[in-house]
Amino acid sequence: MNTSEILGDMNRVPGASGSVGPDSVLDVLAPAKEVPGILAALKKSGFGHLSFVTAKDLPSENLIELVYRLFSYVSRTDASVRTRLDRANPSAPSVSGIFRTAEWHERETAEMFGVEFSGHPCPGKLLLPDGVEAPLRKDFKHEEMTPLPAV
Amino acid sequence: MTLPLKELLYAPAAPLAAFAAKAHALWAARGLPSSVLDLLFQLAIAAAVSGFITVNALFIIWFDRKIAALMQLRKGPNRVGPFGLLQTLADTLKLLSKEDLNPRGIDPLAFWLAPLLVFIPAFAVFLVIPFGDGLIAGDLNIGILYILAISGLSVIGILSAGWGSNNKYSLIGGLRSAAQMVSYEVPMMLAILPVVMLTGSMRMGAIVDAQAGYGWFAFMQPVAFVIFLIAGNAEVNRAPFDLPEAESELVAGFNTEYSAMKFSLFFLAEYTNLFLTSAIAVSLFLGGWEGPFLPPVVWFLLKTYFVITLLCWARWTFPRIRVDQLMQFSWKYLLPIALANLLLSAAAMKLL
Amino acid sequence: MPVQAPFELEKLSNKEYILNMGPQHPSTHGVLRVVLKLEGELVKDVFPDVGYIHSGVEKLCENRTYPAIVPYLDRLDYLGAVNLEWAYVLAVEKLCGIQVPERAEYIRVILAELNRVMSHLLWYSAFGMDVGALTPIFYAFREREEIIALVEAATGGRLTHNALRIGGFRNDLPKDFLPGLSRFLSSFEKKVDEYEALLIDNVILTARTRGVGVLDPELAVNYGVTGPSLRGSGPAWDLRRTAPYSVYGKFDFRVPVSEGRDTWSRLKVRMDEMRESAKILRQAAAALPAGEVSAKVPRVLKPAPGEAYARVESPRGEFGAWVVSDGTERPYRVKFRSPSFSNLSVLREIAVGCNIADIIAIMGSLDLVIPEIDR
Repeated sequence: MNTSEILGDMNRVPGASGSVGPDSVLDVLAPAKEVPGILAALKKSGFGHLSFVTAKDLPSENLIELVYRLFSYVSRTDASVRTRLDRANPSAPSVSGIFRTAEWHERETAEMFGVEFSGHPCPGKLLLPDGVEAPLRKDFKHEEMTPLPAV
Repeated sequence: MTLPLKELLYAPAAPLAAFAAKAHALWAARGLPSSVLDLLFQLAIAAAVSGFITVNALFIIWFDRKIAALMQLRKGPNRVGPFGLLQTLADTLKLLSKEDLNPRGIDPLAFWLAPLLVFIPAFAVFLVIPFGDGLIAGDLNIGILYILAISGLSVIGILSAGWGSNNKYSLIGGLRSAAQMVSYEVPMMLAILPVVMLTGSMRMGAIVDAQAGYGWFAFMQPVAFVIFLIAGNAEVNRAPFDLPEAESELVAGFNTEYSAMKFSLFFLAEYTNLFLTSAIAVSLFLGGWEGPFLPPVVWFLLKTYFVITLLCWARWTFPRIRVDQLMQFSWKYLLPIALANLLLSAAAMKLL
Repeated sequence: MPVQAPFELEKLSNKEYILNMGPQHPSTHGVLRVVLKLEGELVKDVFPDVGYIHSGVEKLCENRTYPAIVPYLDRLDYLGAVNLEWAYVLAVEKLCGIQVPERAEYIRVILAELNRVMSHLLWYSAFGMDVGALTPIFYAFREREEIIALVEAATGGRLTHNALRIGGFRNDLPKDFLPGLSRFLSSFEKKVDEYEALLIDNVILTARTRGVGVLDPELAVNYGVTGPSLRGSGPAWDLRRTAPYSVYGKFDFRVPVSEGRDTWSRLKVRMDEMRESAKILRQAAAALPAGEVSAKVPRVLKPAPGEAYARVESPRGEFGAWVVSDGTERPYRVKFRSPSFSNLSVLREIAVGCNIADIIAIMGSLDLVIPEIDR
């Protein structure tokens, strides 16, 4: 399947909008519940490698944007699937059934941003110790951690 | 009384017997019981052997470290004493000055007895090692049997160490070692049997005498020699068979919880066992103390250190073998080969 | 701190026990805790517990200017440092639209391949020590010392180089760098043959690693495994070949693969990679063009708002840096995708059913560096 066909399929998904960026990165913005379906479709059309799953905190728009980055070793192009979650209660379905990579990546995103991934096989903290919640959010505060002057 | 130096070096049996007879005569002239004198003589021999073990351990540890260093493109100990020879002494003194830790939850009897149970058999086997012509502490009729029986006792020591340490790593190490030592005793015995058959006696002195001239058993029984070296290496937990103390997997295995004097006893026992394996290999297969020109004691030590060099070489070259492959190797390969060798030797002896 | 393992103590049968290959262990290559559920010597379950040296580097970077982030990349994987810096620098150059002069690209290739050889030599030494061969480390480190001397002359650092800058380099290579490099390369391939014969082809090691830790290619791709750990299972995915960045497209080299899928194949792939790196180094040194080593980069770098992701083939696999810029001089979000993170997550699948000794061999063959897992 070439890029335009894939793009057409993406745009047919309800609520999703796809585009091809200047560096030939296929960018898809979709609602959270459509993401597993989109990833499965992309995997079938050759994007077999999930590079990472992470998030971006946008407090000004009250959103947390999840980013899934895929790579196709067949067509040697990237695909980036993004979804926007409500910052107060971010929740997304887990894609670890499609890409097992996502198991650990989602755990890390969950603990760093406070996102809940429903259907995750073994949720739980991965990197952080107890007592530290969602440190990568922009409004993270901890009584033992004081921000140093910017370098 | 002039010391017949040349005779003492080359054939000490006669001068020593003469000295003992003179001492007995002097003793009886005083009216003292001769059994006390015998006991004193035996204590003196034990002290001499202990002295030898200690000095030898100091030397052999330095030797192993120097060989390791030469193979690893470095120099090894060369600061403490000339050529670093006093390094082991310094290490021992350091070890003695450390705190003797007793971890919580140990089984005190097992934990405390283990080093002794490992060191004493090593010590006791020196009774029957022929250092030279007539220089055996006690030339038992059952020399070989005594060696095999006593060295089997060290398994109990390692098991006690593993169990008594209250540490899963030590336990695994101890169990591995027990399995390993028990497995490799059988091929070792089967490798020694042809030698005993060829000699007709289990006495160590007789075995060495039977190899006089050029009839070394290593040439007549090469397979048995190789099997003995391998099985002996495994018996003393040296690489590539050093799983019980596999540093990278088990963080020192059954040694993990030991410190200070107890650790140094384990350490000493390992190197003493190394010397013993080599000494027994030399006596059984390489002609013992036979050799031209030099005194027999010197030949014995030279040959023993040659075998020690071979074993050290193997230690620093090979990776560690895995425990189930170790057992496979012993039971599926060494044992049938040793048995076949035994049968063939017996057949050859009958026919020739 | 300890995370609940998926298997609890109450549910153990009476033959099973839990052994902790704790954060302090000679063979876990860093601060990694692996909880094993064992029955005798047989491993029933494996649970890696990471996070002991999490330092929050991604959050730190949000408070640093773009050029000041480069040293952090060194520390993530100190063995393949230049490769990691390259990923970040590529991402920022994509954001800013900076074109790096060709001489700088070639020097980057040279330093990156030297780093790859250094990393594989250290992996070889550490793997040897894990399986009980205590001698190869001294031989491999002799080679490594030569490379370190070269790289130190060029960058100033023996291990954490801080070599790359956004736009190129600060200084050119020293005059005796290329002669030193050719001196090193003249004897290197023979040494690799020697080291392979000493450890990898050793009969004890082959018996210990063949058929152990078999990793299916589909499973590996699904878990996101990259690098030599993946190429030891079949797929010839090497970013230098499939998605060439910089001037890698101009070099003639093979991508070492193996169909064996087991631990031994992964070992063999790494030894072959050292040889291919030597080839690349020769070609790069011969084709090194003259010119400047840095593009014109503004003093205070403020990329246009946007995001960029750059991936490179580090000695362990795909390392990627995702940089999000909001127009200021500090990035809005930085994400580092490290290869060891995904390589470790596959441990559970391949390590169940083997011995304790095999766990060590498998972890050694995956070539993990813990700081890049924990970040």
